[in-house]
Amino acid sequence: MVEELTWGMPVILYLFLAGAGAGAVTVSASVELRGGGFGAARHAVARYGALIGPLPVILGTFLIIFELGAPFRVLNLFKVVNLSPMSVGTWLLGVFIVLCLAYAATFLLPDRLTWNRRARTLLAWVCLPFGIGVAVYTGVLLGAMPAQPFWNSPILALLFLFSALSAGVAFIVLALTLFPSRHAGADAASHGNSSYLLTTADSVLLAGELGIIFLFIMFAHLTIGSTKEAVQVILGGGELALLFWGVVVLIGILLPFIVELILVGPRLLYGRPYRAVYLADLLLPMAVLVGGFFLRYVVVVAGQITGPVGL
Amino acid sequence: MSESADDRTTRRQFLKGVGGVAATGAVATLALPTLALHPEPEVATERQYAMVIDVRRCIGCHSCTVACKVEHDVPTGVNRSWVEYTEKGVFPDVSRSFLPRLCNHCSVPQCVSVCPTGATYKRPEDGIVVIDSGVCIGCKYCILACPYDARFLNPHTHFADKCDFCIHRVAQGVQPACVETCIGGARLFGDISDHDSTLSRLVANNPVTVLRREMGTVPNVYYIGADYADESDNGRPGVHKVTVKTHRPHTERR
Repeated sequence: MVEELTWGMPVILYLFLAGAGAGAVTVSASVELRGGGFGAARHAVARYGALIGPLPVILGTFLIIFELGAPFRVLNLFKVVNLSPMSVGTWLLGVFIVLCLAYAATFLLPDRLTWNRRARTLLAWVCLPFGIGVAVYTGVLLGAMPAQPFWNSPILALLFLFSALSAGVAFIVLALTLFPSRHAGADAASHGNSSYLLTTADSVLLAGELGIIFLFIMFAHLTIGSTKEAVQVILGGGELALLFWGVVVLIGILLPFIVELILVGPRLLYGRPYRAVYLADLLLPMAVLVGGFFLRYVVVVAGQITGPVGL
Repeated sequence: MSESADDRTTRRQFLKGVGGVAATGAVATLALPTLALHPEPEVATERQYAMVIDVRRCIGCHSCTVACKVEHDVPTGVNRSWVEYTEKGVFPDVSRSFLPRLCNHCSVPQCVSVCPTGATYKRPEDGIVVIDSGVCIGCKYCILACPYDARFLNPHTHFADKCDFCIHRVAQGVQPACVETCIGGARLFGDISDHDSTLSRLVANNPVTVLRREMGTVPNVYYIGADYADESDNGRPGVHKVTVKTHRPHTERR
């Protein structure tokens, strides 16, 4: 199915990778700046996001460049500034890649350098809006076309933002679990605390995603004509219904959300101690990432196999 | 807690950050007008070339399709111009009608709005929507944004391609290839901004329609007597067995 599409697998992968990478950097910058309840683990947690985030963004960017009909003309994008979402996105992405690489570098340079710590804070401040910008624009890119009724919704960009942030958290939790930090003060309690905070944050993001998906489908259903026809493709009997409800919603959002609530609930509501469950910290982020990828897949494919009804 | 020291730093940094964001905002506001000027398509051009297709005179012979292919050396599998057949009804109450298709050279072209490089633009002197293949990067955004499926990625050049109203002929005062070749005389090409032109008078004197008017693209290809019946109409009461053949590699109308 994907081979016949105008925008195929490279675009789908790009939307996912760039979103997730931007999400990881954004979450990292937020942790770095706010600290929240992370305490001494703050820099360690921020470090994971800062070092992981740029990789998917750059990988996705390479994929999208070679999806172009004329990849070696990619610099033409930087000769013009216009209000095409792709132009705005190109500039956002270009600046973001430079910024997030510089931000990552501040975590590799020694902390005793005062200027390095200052640069890190400054870069965190600018990476934050640019990361959100990159995640949001991927949705605006698709949403900008009245000729594609499935995509032509203002809430798509918000859905992609929530999904990107959630995937960003997933990347960080996965890294934290697979490569536990060996720095001083990285004890089990601190690890548990970080796991608790990230899991809680993820559950909030997943709840947001569920709400946005509900609104997206409700409005598509309440309208008539092309949009209603288009959304049938993910509703009962539609070509992408199983993938959407089974993988995106159930595996990617609902199940992780419920498990996360069960895990963080006791501490969140009753102040009981929280202990990081290794398997949960391993499988939940994976489920979220799989869901995030298939969300892009379903949306990109659904938009292209549907269209305006009638001439 | 050791956090309090950190928190103070954060707040100071926050105020610095707010200052930075405010400054950036001010710069962005100053820069906005110049940014907005470039891509916004103008509805009014100096002159607007347009086409009227009188479907009642079309016999579905595909001469226009072939003439276009030859004129522009269009690769196999893609079309700048094509003819769709619509069959409708149950014997003996049946009809077949034809719908010649091409780029609508819209006055509010969506393809131009989404083009990130400015490779596609509407010429202010004659309103023809063209693609500068020296600038196009082949991102295919315009192909998705066009509500008429008029664009394609040229399999030879890998740039976006479509009908350009035979710009090279029109510049020499010659009719576009599809118009010249039409044996039924179904096509008329002219300047719709000139109120005395044959085309303007034809548009004024006849019930004309355009495709997908609700898209707000303000197309400049007008049809007389076109049947817009579609497979999607099959569910309607009184409409039976509508089939549309596009005569393109993707047989379904998009």
